[in-house]
Amino acid sequence: MDLELETTKRDGQTVLTVRGEIDVYTAPRLRQAIVDLVDAGSVNLVVDMEKVDFLDSTGLGVLVEGLKRVRTRGGDLSIVVTQDKIIKIFEITGLNKAFSLHTSLDDALGEPVSGG
Amino acid sequence: MTGPGADGGPVPGLELEVPPKPAFVRTARHAVAALARLHGAPEDLIEDIKLAVSEACNTAVMRAEGANDSSRKPLTVTAWVDDRRIQIDVLDPSGTVARDVTGSPTDIDTEDLPFDRILALPIVRGLVDDVSITQEPRGARMRMVVTLAPSSEAAPSS
Repeated sequence: MDLELETTKRDGQTVLTVRGEIDVYTAPRLRQAIVDLVDAGSVNLVVDMEKVDFLDSTGLGVLVEGLKRVRTRGGDLSIVVTQDKIIKIFEITGLNKAFSLHTSLDDALGEPVSGG
Repeated sequence: MTGPGADGGPVPGLELEVPPKPAFVRTARHAVAALARLHGAPEDLIEDIKLAVSEACNTAVMRAEGANDSSRKPLTVTAWVDDRRIQIDVLDPSGTVARDVTGSPTDIDTEDLPFDRILALPIVRGLVDDVSITQEPRGARMRMVVTLAPSSEAAPSS
């Protein structure tokens, strides 16, 4: 499965829903999507990765870049992740401590923020 | 390069050549995953193997992309199962390594996987049992070994 990206607004926040595989081939599309959203003023992002089948270091790198990008603009980037195989990648890289990880979109949206 | 499959029949290893392009990394990881699946590897381990293959290929692919050299030769991905261990080789004929590494994956450092691949380091360290990165006459070779715990023999969870 290739990568599918969908952007929605919910509770004043921007949700980027990702489906498919994030790897060295598809990660640039995710990077561009985040850059475009931030440039358009969406600095509080929720990246919903519940339907992501695969994630490697290039995908993680894009998420780290995205986190830096929103934080330099006063925002934040939260991630919804439910699959053990994806959670494991955050854990072994230690990035589970850098990101705000949530087990549901409702949880990620739980704390309203401004400027979404 | 053959071994018994989950059904007792022979399962060959695999060797494939892929261009050092991002679009082909997916092909490599799914091919190796299929081999591991034929040997009865549990799905969570297959996911680990897919990730390890991708990281090995990524290193070579990004080296090729960075060099912007369309003449770079295809990567050769070889995998086989021996004594319940899957060995995966990624040979980059156009690649060079800073130093040879053999043994524990914790011996890998940022020179072995270039700096912009730094996130790959903990991933490889966390997924494979043994690793070697060596300079050979045919190119730079990364070999990873993962023990296939057959699901039927997996220790019961407590």
